[in-house]
Amino acid sequence: MNILTFKGGYRFKGFTGRAANKLITLDLPSTVRIPLRQGFGSTLTPKVGVGDGVKAGQIIAQDDKLVSSPIHSSVNGTVTKIEKVNYFKRSIDMVTIESDGDPGYEKLAGATKEWEKLPNQEIEELIYKSGASSLNREGIPTSFKSSIINSEEVVDLIIHGISSEAYNASLKTLLEGKNLYNFVEGIKILKKIMPKARIHLALNSRKKDIIESVKKLTSNIEGLKIHALYSKYPQGYDEVLIPTILGKKFPYGYSAANIGIVVLMLQTVLHVYDAVVRGKPLIERILAFCGQAFKENLHVKVRVGSSLADILKDRLFTHFKHRVVLNSLLTGVELADLSLPISREFSQIIAIRDDDLRRFLNFMRPGFHSDSYSNTFISQFVKVGKIATTNLRGDQRPCIQCGYCSEVCPVDIMPTVLDRYIKLGINETLMRFGIFNCIECNLCSYICPSKIHLANNLKDAKTKLIEAGCDNSLCILPKFNLKGLDDYKGVKNLR
Amino acid sequence: MLGILRRILDEAEKIIKKTPILKNFFPVFEATDDFFFATKKTTRFAPHFLDGIDIKRFMSFVIIALIPATIAGVYFFGLRVLLVIAISYAAGGLVEVAFSVGRKKPLYEGFLVTGLIFPLILPPTIPLWMVALGASFGVFFGKEVFGGTGRNIFNPALVGRVFLSLAFPEYFATMWQKPFWGGLGGFVKFMPDSITGATPLINFKSTQDVATWPCLLMGNLPGSIGETFRIGIIIGGVLLLLVKIAEWRISLTYIASAFIVSFIGHIFLPESFAPPLFQILSGGLLFGAFFMATDPVSGPLTHQGRWIYGILLGVLTILIRTFTGFVEGVMFAILLMNACAPLIDTIIINIKFKDIPQVEEA
Repeated sequence: MNILTFKGGYRFKGFTGRAANKLITLDLPSTVRIPLRQGFGSTLTPKVGVGDGVKAGQIIAQDDKLVSSPIHSSVNGTVTKIEKVNYFKRSIDMVTIESDGDPGYEKLAGATKEWEKLPNQEIEELIYKSGASSLNREGIPTSFKSSIINSEEVVDLIIHGISSEAYNASLKTLLEGKNLYNFVEGIKILKKIMPKARIHLALNSRKKDIIESVKKLTSNIEGLKIHALYSKYPQGYDEVLIPTILGKKFPYGYSAANIGIVVLMLQTVLHVYDAVVRGKPLIERILAFCGQAFKENLHVKVRVGSSLADILKDRLFTHFKHRVVLNSLLTGVELADLSLPISREFSQIIAIRDDDLRRFLNFMRPGFHSDSYSNTFISQFVKVGKIATTNLRGDQRPCIQCGYCSEVCPVDIMPTVLDRYIKLGINETLMRFGIFNCIECNLCSYICPSKIHLANNLKDAKTKLIEAGCDNSLCILPKFNLKGLDDYKGVKNLR
Repeated sequence: MLGILRRILDEAEKIIKKTPILKNFFPVFEATDDFFFATKKTTRFAPHFLDGIDIKRFMSFVIIALIPATIAGVYFFGLRVLLVIAISYAAGGLVEVAFSVGRKKPLYEGFLVTGLIFPLILPPTIPLWMVALGASFGVFFGKEVFGGTGRNIFNPALVGRVFLSLAFPEYFATMWQKPFWGGLGGFVKFMPDSITGATPLINFKSTQDVATWPCLLMGNLPGSIGETFRIGIIIGGVLLLLVKIAEWRISLTYIASAFIVSFIGHIFLPESFAPPLFQILSGGLLFGAFFMATDPVSGPLTHQGRWIYGILLGVLTILIRTFTGFVEGVMFAILLMNACAPLIDTIIINIKFKDIPQVEEA
């Protein structure tokens, strides 16, 4: 099979602490806190009050006028508190619900195994009501304003399971047993509600067995193409996936939905199946626990709204300091406050050692556990398992123009040249050098031997440019015919 | 053991921070401390983990790659070579320290490489005071006047050498010693006897004699201290290319274009153009192609720029060797191309990133 890839990028391989192919369901939490902004969409206001009894799966926030999807209670019990909480730098309403210990949930009305007989409108309603339509970067388009475009406008639907980060949820675990059939069924459902869309299934080229079995099961779906992609970081980004698979240019700074493309992850398709066939609302997520600081690396099924402290309890080593990061070591947020709840966007929790040891003659060591873009470490030849820690691994130095950053940049800009111009002052020259093409994958910061915070400097400069009134719309709008722009303006700062 | 060293450093830090005069020399202490013990700083924001390589390791690999050439230098030209290297480090290091103290900036690692490359490109008979003069001149005018590590336009080691070769031409024209050959060679002698011979390139200029390639590869012919043992240079150079420290595009195009230009030239003007294989295996061409042209700071940044840089280096080297009074063209070729590197980069970048498209009035 022909393997597709892109110019630049870097393949993270051989890290210890990848989540094993094992899935456990965690105990029902005694209290959950449900943030009223989850996934793609605006912040919602609660429909319940303190003291109300709620069922698991009951919608506690919904607004059909805003771009959003409903949010549910994830347990049966009573609302005890509604307060404004600072959640990922946004002040949003958080509903605290005390559980009564009943693990059941309220099914969505109308869900059926014979979904093919349902009209599109009803299928879309099921997906919307389940909350699955808010997942991933631009949500699933339905006629309920869950995304910025309508489902008829979708030209291409990309479903990807590319594990290009250092730590990923295992495809095998997600597609274990019946889930593989459910996944294919989910694709068929999406195909029905997006009749004009061509479907592209992008899978990691190294998982040959999964590709083979998916191929067999999907052979009767019309207009579906399977692509094997090399798992280089950041292949999973929309900005990289679309040029790789479709050969189209991406309107950097905007969303894939603006050019009529929807990109969904594998787990989202499973949630779609759950909603339409089993009537299950999005109250549970599968999380991968990765990294060296976990006693056991595995996958867990948890209720949305469980607090991090609860689900991490007794699972982390305590004899060294650790740092807990959400979803990605390269771009993820540090989860410093473990009292916060998990939302439906979580897919990996990574805990690595917070390494502040001063190692003797570190730069001369053979480096059995070090990862590097250069081949200067023995770990390139002897596979013992690389270890990710938070240590800076060297002192900051002036740029020596090694050119690594331009080599790995997935969007073909030159971070070090931009950095040099940023020091000279913020002006339009930066736009000419493509600063707005930067997709903030942070790979240049990772790779830099001089330990310069390239990606961060670029990000700051972008903010300053926008404040100064220089917008990237000048570069993008004349070249593309973008859809749903009015709505997009309203929800621009989602990422 | 480690605990003791750590305690000595900690005590020293306290004393240095208290004493007003010593306080100025804090960069020196800092560099020593960082050398022995790696940083304890951790990442403050995403990315939460970083690539294992740092500038210390980057530079150490160049030094490792230079080891075969250095040992061969000692073998061919006696233990005095070690003294030359020590003086080069001391003299250049002093200038480096003076600037870092004056600028109140940390002491950077770049000089570790310059300090070793510089003696390796000197003739073996070079007086020790001249080594000190050249090393400090190179670091001062080649690097520090431009703002230090990362900002230099020229390769500092070559600036030092070009100064010496213009100020004291006699040492670079005639005083080439015959290397030791056989037995323990220079490992047990201080310096060679005063038998002088001509380098293969000088020989060709005067008599059109071409040395055989096994001799050139082994290096038992007169030449600069580190440039004669070409097997070692190739091994070290290929190591550098494989670990991605040196840029393969530059080395490859440099050698290839030198080969092609001398091949064509040799067909038409066999008296002035030496044969291609001889050109590549003589003088400092291999040493320059692997260790000096690939210096990332003074070379271009873009890939396309690196192709052009390498090709022009090869052409210039052969043209200087053939048509000028200088027998060796590598030094001037690299310095000239160093000066052109920013221009090449600017042109490439301007072609790559054209103007922002303007919105037309509707």
